[in-house]
Amino acid sequence: MSDFILGPFWNFAVIVFTAGVVGRIAMILMCGLSKDLAAARGSSVTGAVGTVARRFFPRKETVKSNRFHIIAGYMFHIGLLALLFFAAPHVQFLKNHLLGFGWPAMPHWAFILSAEIAFAGLILLWLRRVMHPVTRLLTRLDDHLAAWLTFFAMVTGCLALFESFAGLRVLHILGVELLMIYFPFSNLMHAFTFFLSRGTTGARAGRHGVKA
Amino acid sequence: MNKSRPKSARALIWAGVLLLLCTVTLPVLPYIWASDSEDITSLDTVENNPRANFWRNVRTGAAGYSAVGGPEANVLINNAGQNWRQFRMNLLAPYGSYLMGAVLFSIAAFYALRGPIRHRSDEPKELLLRFSVYQRVVHWFTAILFWILALTGLILLYGRLVLIPLFGSKGFALTASASKEAHNLFGPIFIVALFMLVIEYARDNFYRKGDLSWLIKGGGMLGKHASAGRFNFGEKIWFWLVLLLGTIISFSGIILDFANLNFDRNTLGLAHVLHGIAAILFISFSFGHIYLGTIGTKGTLRGMTTGYVEQTWAELHHDRWQPDDEMTPETGPLPAAQNE
Repeated sequence: MSDFILGPFWNFAVIVFTAGVVGRIAMILMCGLSKDLAAARGSSVTGAVGTVARRFFPRKETVKSNRFHIIAGYMFHIGLLALLFFAAPHVQFLKNHLLGFGWPAMPHWAFILSAEIAFAGLILLWLRRVMHPVTRLLTRLDDHLAAWLTFFAMVTGCLALFESFAGLRVLHILGVELLMIYFPFSNLMHAFTFFLSRGTTGARAGRHGVKA
Repeated sequence: MNKSRPKSARALIWAGVLLLLCTVTLPVLPYIWASDSEDITSLDTVENNPRANFWRNVRTGAAGYSAVGGPEANVLINNAGQNWRQFRMNLLAPYGSYLMGAVLFSIAAFYALRGPIRHRSDEPKELLLRFSVYQRVVHWFTAILFWILALTGLILLYGRLVLIPLFGSKGFALTASASKEAHNLFGPIFIVALFMLVIEYARDNFYRKGDLSWLIKGGGMLGKHASAGRFNFGEKIWFWLVLLLGTIISFSGIILDFANLNFDRNTLGLAHVLHGIAAILFISFSFGHIYLGTIGTKGTLRGMTTGYVEQTWAELHHDRWQPDDEMTPETGPLPAAQNE
């Protein structure tokens, strides 16, 4: 079983993930944009870059009413990003299997702290989703699956941290594979498409001389 | 007649408190006795084997010299470790399982005899907002973490006995390793959740006039209606127990999580003893909380899932609570001090 998970199933997951992500981005780009006939009053490039950057920060007007959502959102995304790119096993994996070069990994205590912040953020966000009367109505099965698969991949990764048992590592790989297969067909695609959506909005507004 | 009832009720309460204290303290006494008595050293030193006295002396915990630094590095044999192990295996594990089993059995028997408490639901259902979104999120955040920690903790305590026959030694080793990592990882998050819970719920859980009469009437379980505000006295006791037991578990858990920070064996042993006792009590009490919040009292769970309860439910269980018309799911109800 572990041979299948580490071998053919891994290859399958990588193919589905890569083809799926590239395919969906290509489909979005092929939709094109309607021609803007108005005279340009500003730079669309500056507008795009500015909007992508600005929207990493919450708007002042919404901070008070969305404080909980904003804090939990930052906790989860920053924690997950730190785990994904700075956990020692991940850095080693990227170096040995994908990129050929690595970078300094975070120490053990920072890994634990990042994991705790990410877990707290993920659980709080999911709970708010199911508890809030509006978000509960907007939530689909896709949102639950995305949250649960992410949780599964994260928790099995933490359990396998010391690599005491090969079985735990295989379980983590299986979690990651399931997430990779599901990724292109779900809302998780926002990890790639947020650049496109923010950039497009910003470019249009920038061309009109306003901030998006 | 009227005076004798409260007296007997008071006697019942004090008996309950005494029983609770005994339950908590009795299992610890042998451990304390064992750690203080050092009975091994008090044995008759006249033996045939001349080396026996030497090893007895070693077991007193006398310090020698070692090039290795750190607390107790100079002590060859420390009896505290053996005392801790005996407490864990011979007292904590069996008596903990008896307590949890007894609580579950009592709840099942009570449910079989009394059945669920129902409110009138034949009238048109007017709904009242009982918990805001944030209050519910904080409650379930704590509950999820509590059960992750409870299950992984119970696996660590009873896994050897229960899981080895099911999974085999290797399977149990993997499960125990995973449980330990999960327990250490989610423990600190539970501390944050506990803090959020206390901050959010404390204001409505202080003792208020009428709480004692609710207790004397058995919370309405004995037939007579028991009047209560937003939280009844039983819920308030549970809240302060959560704070007390959660604090003990948190502090002892931090010591165990950072065992490499030069804590000596006695400190770690004591932390483990407190952690184990508090956790078993916490889990046992939580059975009652879960029962009353779900199948024990119809309509209660709805308040913690959707935020709303039926008016007839509120009239039966919390008649002194008057929800504010202005509140929204985001703002939640006003504190009890303002609406009772």
